[in-house]
Amino acid sequence: MIRSILKVALREWKRILAFPVYYLAMLVLPPVLCLLYAGIYNRHFAEDLPVAIWDEANSPLSRQFTFMLEQTESIHITQQVQSEGELQAMLHNGKVMGAIHFPRRMDEQIKSRQPVYITIYTNVSYLVPAKLLYKDAAQVLLTAAAGVQLQKLMKTGMPAGKAMALVMPVQLQSFTLYNPRYDYQQYLVPGVIAVAMQMMMIMVVALALNYEHKTHSLGELYEVSNGSASNAIIGKSLAYLTVAWVDYIMITLVIYPLFAAGAQLFSWGLFTIFTLLMLACISVGMMVSAIFKDLLLACDVGIFYTSPAFVFSGFTFPRWGMPWYDQYYAMIMPLTPFVDAFFKVYFMDLPLRYVRLEMAHMLLFAVVGLPVSIVLFQRTLQQSTVQHA
Amino acid sequence: MPEVKNNIGALFLREIRLVAGNHSLLLTLLLAPLFYVFFYGTIYSYKVEEKVVLAVADDDRSEMSRMFVEQMNNMQIVAVMRAASLEEAQEQMYRGDAQGYFYIPKGMQSKVLSLQQADVVLAVNGARFLPSSELTGAITQLGLTIGAGVRLQYQEKMGLNSTMALQEAMPVNIDYRPLYNPQASYGGFLLPVLLVLILQQTLLLGLSGSIALERENNNIGRLVTMGGGLSGMLYGKAAFYLLLYLAYAAFFMTVNYQVLHLPFRGSYRDLAVLLFLFILTLIPMAVWIGTLFKSQLLAAQLMAFSTYPFFLICGYAWPFESMPPALQGLSSLLPLTPFVKVYTSVVQTGGTLREHAGSVVHLLLLWVFYLLLALWGLKRLNKKQQPLSL
Repeated sequence: MIRSILKVALREWKRILAFPVYYLAMLVLPPVLCLLYAGIYNRHFAEDLPVAIWDEANSPLSRQFTFMLEQTESIHITQQVQSEGELQAMLHNGKVMGAIHFPRRMDEQIKSRQPVYITIYTNVSYLVPAKLLYKDAAQVLLTAAAGVQLQKLMKTGMPAGKAMALVMPVQLQSFTLYNPRYDYQQYLVPGVIAVAMQMMMIMVVALALNYEHKTHSLGELYEVSNGSASNAIIGKSLAYLTVAWVDYIMITLVIYPLFAAGAQLFSWGLFTIFTLLMLACISVGMMVSAIFKDLLLACDVGIFYTSPAFVFSGFTFPRWGMPWYDQYYAMIMPLTPFVDAFFKVYFMDLPLRYVRLEMAHMLLFAVVGLPVSIVLFQRTLQQSTVQHA
Repeated sequence: MPEVKNNIGALFLREIRLVAGNHSLLLTLLLAPLFYVFFYGTIYSYKVEEKVVLAVADDDRSEMSRMFVEQMNNMQIVAVMRAASLEEAQEQMYRGDAQGYFYIPKGMQSKVLSLQQADVVLAVNGARFLPSSELTGAITQLGLTIGAGVRLQYQEKMGLNSTMALQEAMPVNIDYRPLYNPQASYGGFLLPVLLVLILQQTLLLGLSGSIALERENNNIGRLVTMGGGLSGMLYGKAAFYLLLYLAYAAFFMTVNYQVLHLPFRGSYRDLAVLLFLFILTLIPMAVWIGTLFKSQLLAAQLMAFSTYPFFLICGYAWPFESMPPALQGLSSLLPLTPFVKVYTSVVQTGGTLREHAGSVVHLLLLWVFYLLLALWGLKRLNKKQQPLSL
């Protein structure tokens, strides 16, 4: 039996190298996509976004604030405007992503106990730049405001420590763990690569059994597998899994270290959850291939099943923010438990005991998918021998 | 002239029969756009995430710390999960039950009351982008509010009346105006573009599949003859897709915008012109892509992988200027890149085509570019597949 399984696996490897529907998707596309994704986020952060300043104060303080804003990572002051209309027009046509307004008589108002409002405008139709701009601008302005308060209190003769305690009675020590600088390359590249791998595996394996009809090779498969659908399916699954491991080696030894902020070169935890994801995808693909004899239909089912996986998985938009029925739909995709496990194992470097539930979830796809495929394909194999005879 | 019209008409009718008879094309072109547009739309129907779970360990157990936690729980973005200790709070984050933890050490209240600075700790799981940044923003705001409250009490004790004390407590304030997406929501940001992405991808997948199918069946030569030339064949096929996708576009921009409660601030006339140009450019692009594949299966399989790359490099999710020059070049070859720039401005900020003349010209140039590529691709295949005449 093992001999037969290995023979099927070897035969499948040859098929993978022979047919474009296999080798293009499994061996050519993954490195191309990985390099493309890594290239997009090569700068890690969105830096030097164009910002306009509307400085009605035109004072030493406003110039100092402007200087501090320019020192941040995301803000690059490209325009000085003279009116709100001009500012709105620039935001409107995309010349700037944000703008800061310092009001007239700002310095005198601060001195004379009148509250001052500094306005931050952002174009939130572009969410990423808008959030970065607001974060940096708010940080600078709040620090500057705290400095103004501190000076005022110290001028009354208050000791520095007490003045500081009044300016900020509760000091918030804020830590962003696992990706402290919100590095997009570190965060998004591993995620989108996982999506591509999942899509690739399901779509290719969806052709694993039915493509034998197209290549008129069912009889040959029958012989190599000794007429056993389980030998055929396990052998084929093994071949796809080894291809997935080749891709995994490429991803973890080249892409992650070079383009995803130097993640660990090898981790048993990551290898385990990746293998489980691939196994789940192989099982789903195999089931599709056993059910749909029509190649195009199987491919379409693969496309329609895998395309929404990324957005449903909760990688970018959390699942708890979705309606309940979408949350249930997400559960029928292997990527969903993988993403939860991936956050813990890859980003948080936690041991596998924290992802037992997710691993069980991924294993469930194999427990259901492979036996169903075997039962369905056994009938196809038998029919083919009858026809052959 | 009438003959040309007849040729195009015949090809148009033939394309309808082709799509109707091919379940893959039928699924991609007629069912997928409608199914996806409602299916994807529901994900972001709440638009913002609410009640992100934060584990809180309060070792101070004072009136002030309880008030702090209570105010935190009252915020729309935060849902407090109590933890007995700092370790338990950390464990809740490790398990994925909470997206971060907040720790109030013993002695906070007494320090604040004796005018000493007290420290509290907020740790968020940065591996999850949106929830962690929202949590940090909200808790920072709460910290500032509490700070202002303490200063207010101090100033009142110093003899200032409440108005003056309030002014003194917050001398410099930030007035944040997130324009065009006031809730700064992910749904508000993504949904408008998701609608056009569905249009684009189903069109590319379907039409490239149709061309690949014609190539697979050795029909190109016959179709060129039927159309009276390369252009005739292209226009005949294109007419069906142009009509179908203009109808989808009209439906998405009206019905789906209403259903998903998306604001529309620009002019429908500008949007109609823009969508017409966009679809007109996508059609020859899809035809050219289709000529590159030997079978419909291969076209469907490989084009399915184009959705995320096209979206990620078009300059919407990630600023165009922040990409390497090679990718900026590649991005400039996508009709989606200039289109998204103008589309976002028209629907979200109320911009006009005139304000984005450069991008409109860019789109027109891409139309010419892909038209030439499509004709070249068809010419190449036509040479190979000329019908044999005896």
